[in-house]
Amino acid sequence: MAKARAISNIDAHAPTGRNARIIAKTRLEEMYYWNVYVDDPSNVQELHNLRIAAKRLRYTLEIFEETFPPESKQVIQEVTQIQEELGLIHDNDVMMALLRLCLYGHDSDAGGKDFAVEQQERERSMVDPGMLASLLDPHTSPSAEEREGLQRLLHNVQQQREERYDAFRQHWYQLREKDFQREITELLDS
Amino acid sequence: MRKQSFSLCAAIDIGSNTIRVVVAKCVPDGLDILEADEKLVRIGESVNATGSISQHKLDETISILHQYLALAKKHSAHPILAVATEAIRKASNKDEFLATIKRETDLSVNIISGDIEAILTFYGATYEMVQEDSVSGRVGVMDLGGGSTELVLAKQMQINWQTSLPIGSGWLHDRYLEPNPPTIADIATAHTFLQTYLAHLNIKRIPPLLIATGGSANSLLLLAQRAFRLDSSQSELTLDDLLRCEGLLCALPAEEIAHRYQLEAKRARILIAGVLITRAIMERFQLHTIRISSHGIREGVLLAYSRHGEQWLEHIQKREPSAPEKKSPYDEEFVQSGRRLLQERAKKMLAWHTDVLKHEDIEAVHKMRVASRRLRAVLDAYESICDPKPFKKIYRRVKDMADILGMARDTDVMIAHLREQREQSADAEKISINWLIKRLEDYRAQHQVELERALHALDEDTWLRQIDACLPEGGFRNGKS
Repeated sequence: MAKARAISNIDAHAPTGRNARIIAKTRLEEMYYWNVYVDDPSNVQELHNLRIAAKRLRYTLEIFEETFPPESKQVIQEVTQIQEELGLIHDNDVMMALLRLCLYGHDSDAGGKDFAVEQQERERSMVDPGMLASLLDPHTSPSAEEREGLQRLLHNVQQQREERYDAFRQHWYQLREKDFQREITELLDS
Repeated sequence: MRKQSFSLCAAIDIGSNTIRVVVAKCVPDGLDILEADEKLVRIGESVNATGSISQHKLDETISILHQYLALAKKHSAHPILAVATEAIRKASNKDEFLATIKRETDLSVNIISGDIEAILTFYGATYEMVQEDSVSGRVGVMDLGGGSTELVLAKQMQINWQTSLPIGSGWLHDRYLEPNPPTIADIATAHTFLQTYLAHLNIKRIPPLLIATGGSANSLLLLAQRAFRLDSSQSELTLDDLLRCEGLLCALPAEEIAHRYQLEAKRARILIAGVLITRAIMERFQLHTIRISSHGIREGVLLAYSRHGEQWLEHIQKREPSAPEKKSPYDEEFVQSGRRLLQERAKKMLAWHTDVLKHEDIEAVHKMRVASRRLRAVLDAYESICDPKPFKKIYRRVKDMADILGMARDTDVMIAHLREQREQSADAEKISINWLIKRLEDYRAQHQVELERALHALDEDTWLRQIDACLPEGGFRNGKS
């Protein structure tokens, strides 16, 4: 995810509360930029970006909390929850990438043909190269029995990911219904 | 109670979960309670779901208030004081709610802030200790409500810290623990949320004694006493007791819990949330035992009234830490708040340096990583008024540090999750999980070397100087483009 947007329109000598509102609104826009990707659970990178943007909004609200009305506490709580729900999904995505690489990432893996090159590349990018090297060390390749268990583990993680995604999406829609974006904007305007 | 003139008053507390009444003879330092009652209504349930109080909850509230007013009248109690807390504070139709109560019952209800709620609860939960003269040193009070949790710390009964957290048992239940009974995954998610949330509480000194009050705390005590045959004259719960309650509440549906241990079914539904909040607070406070008090906000209201008379609420409001003498942070010049925040956040991050190097507690890595992210968020916020050259340099360094901490943390979390999963797996799967854990542990050990190298190279004074250079006094540039 790209670096947070630098904020223009800031007066170094203005009250902190005034600038805090400009910054928070920018972070809010950044978060809602990813709104269109929410409906497709396969948008792994975009959901991760949404999580990062939510985290930035949350930290901004927390940094300047004392300058906002007390209702900002509830907003922070809601954004924190969104971020954490997406964090759990991301944990599953990384674990799934890791398991697939363990199962099909070894050069000698016969099952590798089912594991599309493009997908493998994408999943490799989700795992630290040092970790990848440790997982794909040919001296420690999983045995047939271990592979079978890893396959079951992958299945369980996939299932858990689906459940977590559904919970997140449901929450996101609840927020959409009450027009959470407008609620925050109004709070920042007050 | 000593012989002195008293007033006979009643107090009603309209909470997010429960509506309670107490009728008592009141003197400034004590109460002689004649009647007390409570009804679980869960106004917060409606507010959490729709943002407002439903007609059904309003009708139920009015009906209960009529009963309570009759009770107060029976004792000729006067005045009848009423307060409302978190769920009503949050409800979009609170004005209509209060107006209807006034019209239907002639009762004036004060919506009080979280801070006032905390002070009143402290008065109520501790007055017996004051009467018994058993107060020594530092004490904390936790009011575990349906929509919020108030925490108050005091030294020699003088409040020196307080906060109101917008997390209550009803709220946590509605958000994470709806299934009956909740699943292990639900519990884990709620617990993680609480741990994360409470980790940010800035508590200077942790009290050796914490008194918990509120409906969930008292019901938990009852459950523990009835289910595990604890001494019913004791009002303490240990962490082990809570874990046993948690196990029970996860194993059986609420209706079965209510039936077996004579609890209200609606209360039994939200008890698991009460366990999790209490446990998380105890863990955060590093306490093994917690004392439960059946007194709380309504007793506090009566004591405040008998001490200050008609102006009781104004007197308590003056005690709030955000009293007028404190200047609003809104007005602090942006460049000044930036210089202050950058230093504060950098120091917070650097404070974890030694603990991470010790490599004893995986949470230290997590804390330092979170602190590095918060520092980055401050840098992002102030970028446009910073000197670009030192800014880029320090930004890069903070990011690199966050990345290296992040890899360590992510691996720690994966290993921890896999270990948890291993406990619930069949033997055949355990072999595979062990294989994966071993690979991750090998990597983590290698990464620790890299992490330690980075931390050894980190010179705190240089960091703070570089951070300071980013944003000179007066600001490097105005930021307007």
